[in-house]
Amino acid sequence: MTDRSVPKLVEHLFREQSGRLISVLTRIFGTENLDMAEDVVQDSLIEALRLWSSKGVPDNPAGWLFRVAKNKALNIVNREKYKRKYSSDIVHFLHSEWTAEPALNHIFSEQEILDDQLRMMFTCCHPSVSADSQVALTLKTLCGFTIPEIAKAFLTTEQNIKKRLVRARQKIRIEKVPFQVPSGNQLGARLQSVLETIYLLFNEGYSASKGNDVVRYELCEEAIRLSEIIAGYEKIEDKSDVFALLALMYLNASRFRSRSDDSGNILTMAEQDRSLWDPVFMRKGFFYLERSIAFNRLSMYHILATISAYHCAAADFASTDWKSILSLYDKLSEIDQSPLILLNRAIALSKVNGATEALAELKRIEQNPSIISYHLFYSTRAEFYLDLNDPGKAKESIEKAIALCPLEPERVLLRRKLELCK
Amino acid sequence: MQDYLLLIRTEGDVWTDLSPQQLNEHIAKGTSYIGNLIKEGKLKSAAPLDVASKTTTDGNGTIKDGPFNETKEVIAGYFHIVAENMDEALEIAKANPIFSDIPTKIEVHQMRPIGG
Repeated sequence: MTDRSVPKLVEHLFREQSGRLISVLTRIFGTENLDMAEDVVQDSLIEALRLWSSKGVPDNPAGWLFRVAKNKALNIVNREKYKRKYSSDIVHFLHSEWTAEPALNHIFSEQEILDDQLRMMFTCCHPSVSADSQVALTLKTLCGFTIPEIAKAFLTTEQNIKKRLVRARQKIRIEKVPFQVPSGNQLGARLQSVLETIYLLFNEGYSASKGNDVVRYELCEEAIRLSEIIAGYEKIEDKSDVFALLALMYLNASRFRSRSDDSGNILTMAEQDRSLWDPVFMRKGFFYLERSIAFNRLSMYHILATISAYHCAAADFASTDWKSILSLYDKLSEIDQSPLILLNRAIALSKVNGATEALAELKRIEQNPSIISYHLFYSTRAEFYLDLNDPGKAKESIEKAIALCPLEPERVLLRRKLELCK
Repeated sequence: MQDYLLLIRTEGDVWTDLSPQQLNEHIAKGTSYIGNLIKEGKLKSAAPLDVASKTTTDGNGTIKDGPFNETKEVIAGYFHIVAENMDEALEIAKANPIFSDIPTKIEVHQMRPIGG
């Protein structure tokens, strides 16, 4: 392997393994020493980069990395045995010659590493941490995202992300958040906030062309990976929402690669080449949707997943079952009256009952503060005017949308629509 | 569940009697035995003890060095485990691979709980 490929390999390893490693090390050090776990992983990678650049890459780079991190952890807890307090229930094993190695073997086993990542999710999504910080911390500790990448994903500054991370770690330390999956009647509510964070993470990745596409797709993959860990955890009895969220993510992600053309222009669903929709992801989506329904409970995730399933099941855009989709939006708006849901419902309504009725619906939300500066509201309204052969009003709406749209690729799409208004 | 203290009694500094290969094999067996106890949540702690020890009898400063030549017997280490009952604690003690390599006695003591 050439010298130049070593940094690439390390970068790849970091993305793949750092979440697993940080989780295991946090098990050892306790959540109050989260920064220490992150430092050990960082140090191990720097060591790998240095050594491999001069001596070549070992056969099993990930195994090597874990061994180095293991030894570093062992040294730290023995060197700082009396200097620090560790809340961890396992650290004392590392102080004895008889138990150190068996304990390390145990906590570095595949099953424990999976469980530790789950514990880490509940730690990052603890209610004492603000929603913004929950997502940033999850990306940093569990998904191996760097601070610049997180900043890019959220269209904010690195300084801002750093602040969120510091605040989150502080909260976790002050509140003495335990490193465990909650049990009993706490589990349900805590699981909800973990799922919300994962859903947010997925949406950040899925929202059209907000920056780098590769990173965005990885966000979606990570959201799915974390949910799969939850789905595999035995002690959660009611997995209805987990399965529904997985279905929703797989079904939507199956369309990820068909959403733009070769030059990066966004394509509407009507324009997309359906043969590019990922059949494996669709199958998984339908599989989880079926499993989620077995619980006989309906959440927002179920409805959104079912809507997505109707799109996946349609042979082409024209044969989309809008009637069923509309009735799902009706159900959704019973659970959540948010204007964004009503906006999407209006689209289904226009397909079923025509644009006049849909426009009347939009009237009901146009003064809403979260809608008034939202470009998609105006581009949707323009579509309805076009349906009604009113290019003048459509043009007016699209111009407003272009003025409000923060992202260039979406503006390109809107300008393309403007052509239709002549 | 009850707490039990297992005292590992051997004669002298036994580890030096093993060849490097025997010692490696012994360590591998011990690692897997202890690993299983940790996995099952039965081990609270365990550690080898230094052969050198001192005994104090009372507060008037009489301190004797050990181990004592009369017996050469030493406590080589201890296990603090949890078990359903004495039978299970004995089972755990009997399964210790130390027996196959080193002449050993393991004393099993139940730790008396508060109010017990």
